[in-house]
Amino acid sequence: MTTTIQETDERFIAVLSGELDTAAAEQTSQALQPLLDSKGKEIVLDCTDLEYISSSGLRVLLSILKQAKSVGSRVVLKNVNEVIRDVLDISGFISIFEME
Amino acid sequence: MNSSLKSSISRVGIIVIAAVMVEVISIIQYERLRGIMEEEMSSRSHVIVSALADRIQYTLDKTEITMQENLWDVMRSMAHPDSVYSALVRLVDDNPDIVGGCLAFYPYYYPSKGRLYEPYVRKSPDGTMEMRQLAGPDHDYTRNEEYLWVLNHKESSWTDPYSFESDTINYATYSYPILDTQGEVQAICGLDIELSWLGNLLNTRQPFASTFSCLLTPKGDFVTGPPESRTPRAEVELAVAIANGILPESDYPKLLMRKTSLHKDPYWQVVQVYKADEVYAKMHRMRRQQMVLILLGLAILAFMINRYARNEKKLRKASEEQARISGELSVARRIQEEMLPKSFPAHIYGSLEPAREVGGDLYDFYQRDGKLFFCIGDVSGKGVPSAMLMSVIHSLFRVLSQKTEDPSHILKVLNQELCRGNDSNMFVTFFAGCLDLYTGKLHYANAGHDKPYLLGDAPTQLAAKSNLPLGVFPDTEFEPQECTLSPGAMLFLYTDGLTEAKNSRREAFGRSRVQQVLTDCLANGQMTPESMVHAVSDAAHRFAEDAPQSDDLTMLLIRYLPGELFKNQITLVNERAEVEKLGAFVKDFCSSLELDRKSSAHLRLALEEAVVNVINYAYPKGEKGNIDIYADSNRKEVRFTIVDSGVPFDPTAAISADTTLDAQNRPIGGLGILLTRKLADSVSYCRKGDKNVLTITKSIQ
Repeated sequence: MTTTIQETDERFIAVLSGELDTAAAEQTSQALQPLLDSKGKEIVLDCTDLEYISSSGLRVLLSILKQAKSVGSRVVLKNVNEVIRDVLDISGFISIFEME
Repeated sequence: MNSSLKSSISRVGIIVIAAVMVEVISIIQYERLRGIMEEEMSSRSHVIVSALADRIQYTLDKTEITMQENLWDVMRSMAHPDSVYSALVRLVDDNPDIVGGCLAFYPYYYPSKGRLYEPYVRKSPDGTMEMRQLAGPDHDYTRNEEYLWVLNHKESSWTDPYSFESDTINYATYSYPILDTQGEVQAICGLDIELSWLGNLLNTRQPFASTFSCLLTPKGDFVTGPPESRTPRAEVELAVAIANGILPESDYPKLLMRKTSLHKDPYWQVVQVYKADEVYAKMHRMRRQQMVLILLGLAILAFMINRYARNEKKLRKASEEQARISGELSVARRIQEEMLPKSFPAHIYGSLEPAREVGGDLYDFYQRDGKLFFCIGDVSGKGVPSAMLMSVIHSLFRVLSQKTEDPSHILKVLNQELCRGNDSNMFVTFFAGCLDLYTGKLHYANAGHDKPYLLGDAPTQLAAKSNLPLGVFPDTEFEPQECTLSPGAMLFLYTDGLTEAKNSRREAFGRSRVQQVLTDCLANGQMTPESMVHAVSDAAHRFAEDAPQSDDLTMLLIRYLPGELFKNQITLVNERAEVEKLGAFVKDFCSSLELDRKSSAHLRLALEEAVVNVINYAYPKGEKGNIDIYADSNRKEVRFTIVDSGVPFDPTAAISADTTLDAQNRPIGGLGILLTRKLADSVSYCRKGDKNVLTITKSIQ
């Protein structure tokens, strides 16, 4: 599981690649720490190469979303694959995240 | 209009029609009888009246003959006026009917005797003769109508009867002209006859007490009739008036009259009067009796019809009731049939033939977590009570087997339930098993049921302990037993309805015949469960011939066909880092099954969430523990079994996260078990000994 974050003037773009399972959740959570201070900028999570996500991974995404909402910014999930879309669907997360 | 009113109207209708018919017949009969009687009476009356007339005529004729015979003597005596007496005495004496005789001479016949001379002789009752001359100033016979008529006509004549020295009319006189050679009337001889006998003659020997006869003059004047003691005068006068046509006969239908006249002078009429009431009295009595009998008959008929109708109503009610019960029973039967497994996979077949509408046998099977749960049972007794208990057991088996894979435990709980309030002392023989479809391991327990047959190369009985049936003692223990079926092996379960099927000679089908049929099937390569069950059933029916089926006949045949098996196992410790190993393990297993990426990812997630759950909660913090994960598949289904030795914990009982909440209100946890449940086909938990066992299955077809 690798995570890279790019910061522009308008937004943060985090590229997630690999499998965000329970084992990887903690490390990923730390890697995404900068996003918790988004300063009102839009957060884009690029999931193009994200192959797998577990509930622990969802939790990481949820904590970012909660933080962003509290300062009035938005979180967009980009290029979500079918497997992950299923998981978002089952968990109901599909209705609280913006998808692109 | 309801049917009972209709039927009672039709009943009344039948009786009314019968009554009318009987009455019409009775009237026709009455009229015919009346006609016959009238004819009979008429002829009888004719005989009587004719006889009377003849009798009268006879007396009159005799008088006339006496006159003829003694005429010469009288004429001879006329030579001397005084010798006439002696001739008259001889004349009167000659005929006992004659009571007097006179000779009224033409005026001045004897100048010496003056103008009128009428010597008269009268016979007194003692036989002596009284002689006197009647003519005188107060008796001028030349003014007598009779005298004048005979004088003018020169013919003899009878007077109408008259009364003389009496209240009753008792005399009649025959007048005969005595002519000289020139044909001139010289004298007229009168003979008086006594008629008082006539009254008696008329009214003796009447056919009915009230019948009377009268004698009338040709003009219709009443002469004599019945004494007043016999018939009131008024009745007689009425009859005379009718006979004379003064009153119309049709106004008096109750009086029947017969009239005849003498056929020559004096043309007296004899009238006989009958009272219809009396004539037909017997007939009326007969008719009344007949009516009573008819009414009695009708009453009996009505009673019988009513009784019949009531019986019929009862019968109809009973048959309606029976139809209702049998309707309800057929519904019960359908419900019972619907409780039985409806479709059979290729490796299982069961059949249940109840002896009555509903039966006390049951069998069941279903698959869960790659295991086949099955049972067969026989409730003591037959019919509705057994069927009700059977339904209870069936439901309990389904519920209990959801939570345990140990048949002996199922039997234990079933037994305790059945013993609770089993006042009717019913019991159930029961066999339950759980076959692991991946390993062939069969766990089973028996409660007094016939031992199933294990069909490998040859049928052998499963080494099941007998134990007591369910429902006998609440503390009965049922020993858990197990064995392993080799692929292709079969298990044949049955109830005693099969081995105890009797033929008409009361011989039982028996275990040896069952065994023989099964052996034959194996030898013939007749290997499908359905064909084998049918073979046994057919053999039992052939054996029983026409003898009625006395008990429910139930069979269940299970064939263990594991197919191509895939299995793998991994042991993890309770650390999150182990999840990576788990991921690799699941991915490897899925790729060995050639599953697509999506299915593989779903399975991985389902399993990961379940295992993380165990890692997080099964063992107390800091305590090391193992987690064994078994993977099995037959290419149709994948089964993962997660076993840990941690504290008892049923994740299936945990409340899933609410996925409808928005982001702010969404709790961070609770998602794991939800994902497992949604992604797998079934998730079930049971505690086996000191281990938690969680089974996750998913169809991969």
